[in-house]
Amino acid sequence: MSPIQLALLATFLPLGTAFSLIVLPGVRRAGKLPGYISVVTALVALVSALQLFAYGLEVHDIARVTTQWLPHSVLGASSAAPSTIEIGVLLDGLSVSMLVVVCLVAFCVQVFSLGYMADEPPADFGRYFTWQSLFLFAMNTLVIAPNLLQLFLGWELVGLVSYLLIGYYWKKPSAARAALKAFWITKLADMGLVAGLIVLFVNTGSFNWTGTVAVAGPVTLLLFIAVMGKSAQFPLHVWLPDAMEGPTPVSALLHAATMVAAGVFLVARAHPLFEQAPNTQNFMAYVGGFTALFASIVAVVQNDIKKVLAYSTCSQLGYMVCALGAGSQVAGFFHLTTHAFFKAMLFLAAGGLIHAVHSNDIHHMGGLFRKMKLTSGAFIIGALALAGVPGFSGFFSKDLILEEVWERGLYLPFAALLIAAFLTAFYMGRVVFIALFGKPSEHAEHAHESGFAMTFPLVVLAIPALCAGYFGAELSGMYGEATHFHLSPVGMTASALGLCGIGLSYFMFGAPQGGAALRTVFAPLGRLAASGIVDKSFLFGYRTVLRGFAGGIGWFDRYIIDGLMNAIGYVTLEVGARLRPLQTGKVQDYVYVMVVATIALGTFAAFLR
Amino acid sequence: MLEKVSFGVVAFALLWPGFKVVTARNLVHTVFWLGLTLASTAVLFIMLQAPFLAAIQLILYTGGLLTLMLFGVMLTARDQGLLTVPNASHRRAFGGLLAVAAFAMLAMAITQTTTLPASPTAPITTQQLGALVFTEQALAFEVLAVLLLAVTLGAIVFARRGDAGSATENTANSIPARKPLPAPNAAVSQAKGA
Amino acid sequence: MGLSAYLLVSAALFCLGVFGLLTRRNAVGILASVELMANAGNINLVAFARFNGNATGQIFALFSTALTVAEVVVGLALVILLYRSRGDVLVESASELKG
Repeated sequence: MSPIQLALLATFLPLGTAFSLIVLPGVRRAGKLPGYISVVTALVALVSALQLFAYGLEVHDIARVTTQWLPHSVLGASSAAPSTIEIGVLLDGLSVSMLVVVCLVAFCVQVFSLGYMADEPPADFGRYFTWQSLFLFAMNTLVIAPNLLQLFLGWELVGLVSYLLIGYYWKKPSAARAALKAFWITKLADMGLVAGLIVLFVNTGSFNWTGTVAVAGPVTLLLFIAVMGKSAQFPLHVWLPDAMEGPTPVSALLHAATMVAAGVFLVARAHPLFEQAPNTQNFMAYVGGFTALFASIVAVVQNDIKKVLAYSTCSQLGYMVCALGAGSQVAGFFHLTTHAFFKAMLFLAAGGLIHAVHSNDIHHMGGLFRKMKLTSGAFIIGALALAGVPGFSGFFSKDLILEEVWERGLYLPFAALLIAAFLTAFYMGRVVFIALFGKPSEHAEHAHESGFAMTFPLVVLAIPALCAGYFGAELSGMYGEATHFHLSPVGMTASALGLCGIGLSYFMFGAPQGGAALRTVFAPLGRLAASGIVDKSFLFGYRTVLRGFAGGIGWFDRYIIDGLMNAIGYVTLEVGARLRPLQTGKVQDYVYVMVVATIALGTFAAFLR
Repeated sequence: MLEKVSFGVVAFALLWPGFKVVTARNLVHTVFWLGLTLASTAVLFIMLQAPFLAAIQLILYTGGLLTLMLFGVMLTARDQGLLTVPNASHRRAFGGLLAVAAFAMLAMAITQTTTLPASPTAPITTQQLGALVFTEQALAFEVLAVLLLAVTLGAIVFARRGDAGSATENTANSIPARKPLPAPNAAVSQAKGA
Repeated sequence: MGLSAYLLVSAALFCLGVFGLLTRRNAVGILASVELMANAGNINLVAFARFNGNATGQIFALFSTALTVAEVVVGLALVILLYRSRGDVLVESASELKG
């Protein structure tokens, strides 16, 4: 099959599956069947993606096939340039790599879900896999998009699926609220994307990211607002921790590996645009650096294992955004790839642990290493990769980011990233030492290793998590210019800080006693972070600013717009009521009018003559 | 001179009954005054050298229509009050004003028109009319025939509809009780009843 | 006698019809008034035919006579319907169209 056909297969087969599951309730409720169908679909998509990847290693720009979607006549002739909107498939190193990431993680997550969701009622089980397949379609549409408009379609679709999957346990009020929150905040941010697209289109007559754009500054800034929402950058990150209300595999797929990375993907995609806007890039670097630092501080004090990972995701996305802000598409996207693998693995392993003890609290786990060697091993590998320990994939990508940011001269974000690297290692160490090696709690007594469906994906994901870093040169060649990795002083500093963090966490949480003094030192910081100041300020903003604004709009609507309408209606009614007696219903009155009119017409004619 | 006098007599015989038609209180009288008007019109037609039309006028109008209207009056007037409904007093003045205004307008138009033919031409024979009806006006004639058929059927359907659904029911009983006459007539009605 | 004399007589007859139409309360009376107006029209037609020497005018009058009779037939049927439905034939009592 040709590359285009492969890409279309990987995109539309999941859509077919999702559509069939939606329209065939019999199949959807048929026990495990929808799960198997969905997994097979994901496997086909994965194989297609891998085949494309093999092409892509040799030829970086594989294909770009587009077809006219909206003709010029529909758009109106007023726009600046001859404008046609195209829809199609763009296959280059970036999209092919992303396809592999998406399909691989999706496949692993779906296999994992077969085990994790096995106890769900059949109807819910089918619904879950329907949305999973729909997500694969949406994400692949986004990835292969040849222009920003098609990307936007996929962008909104993944947002929708994210909403649906976060609210999977919709009977739980907190889950329903979290779904709504995620939807609202990302939609709010997406206004930026829409506005950016409009500005871009009005000025250039196309949705392409290539070419010189005079208004690159505003456009990229607007696009970046959407990125902040989707990729959970401060201050729009608040939905991501709440999104952990969804099933853990969903968190692994959507809210760690792929969907939240869509923002990063967008920036990497539109790199030619962002290159023309150095101010936006600097802004991105600062936002990314701050998010990385801030989220890792908050992660330190979380007791919910998924919340720790969620804040960690925020933090790592901050790394990527910072790298993109430093103008390094390669570093940002490379970190996206490695992060997708090890963070998905971390989430899945966490899902295994949660499944075993039926609790999210790390203090309820404890000592699970002895009972669940494989899952714990995967978790530890993921944690080491995340902490940037030399040899693991995270080390290479993080090192690259730090180097790029340093070279660009962004010292403040650089410092933030360094501290974040230390804190990352610290909080991951904390989780590992408490949950896996800590004192066993009664919850963890009956824990045992999970089944094949839940361990196999971990093994699959462990491979790229361990060794993706060694192929940095080849991969970076696909994204942009090939980058060779070398041990720099910057990287060594970061690694050393990471190791310090792990050591510190061992003294605080791993060692039999001691570390109490350190714990007291960190307590105020923890309290500050735990108070959820950002959420509170959002709430304040919502209560005062947004409500006030909405109230003003509502007043205008109620009294000015509606008032106008009511006035028109009132006047019509009044005039009608006044004119009503004219219609007496008596035939002779009408005859009167007729005769009078005839005489008047005759007189008029006489005067005309 | 004789012509003028005879025309004046005929015109009076035409307009005075016409006036009585619109003012007479008793409906039966109205119908008879109408018959007189129509008969005078027939005389006028003879003066206009249209004897065939005059005959038609007498036979169709004065004979047929008059009978028809008398039937109409008798079928719909159950008592004296209904038979003698005076004109609406509140309309009379304004109606008269309008009628006079209309006449003034028409009279002005007629007298000021200078292009009217001054003298009559050769009289039109009935033979000419017959030839015209069956040649030039044949289509109109046929259409008129269809119209008359439609009217006949329509009149039957209208008149039947009232008791079509209840054949056994007494038609007289199905007529609702007459409501008291509206105000303008109330005094008269009471006077007649007493 | 000139044409205008006939026309004036017919105009007067027509206006009498108008007056009846405006003031009559009984539906049969209104029909009679309409007859007057139609008759005035007929006089016009015949008079013009006489003075223009055009036989078609008389044909018109002939047809119009037939039409008028047809109209009275339908009108009387309606009057009877009116009488059946409300017990009288006063036009002002049929005022369902009152606004």
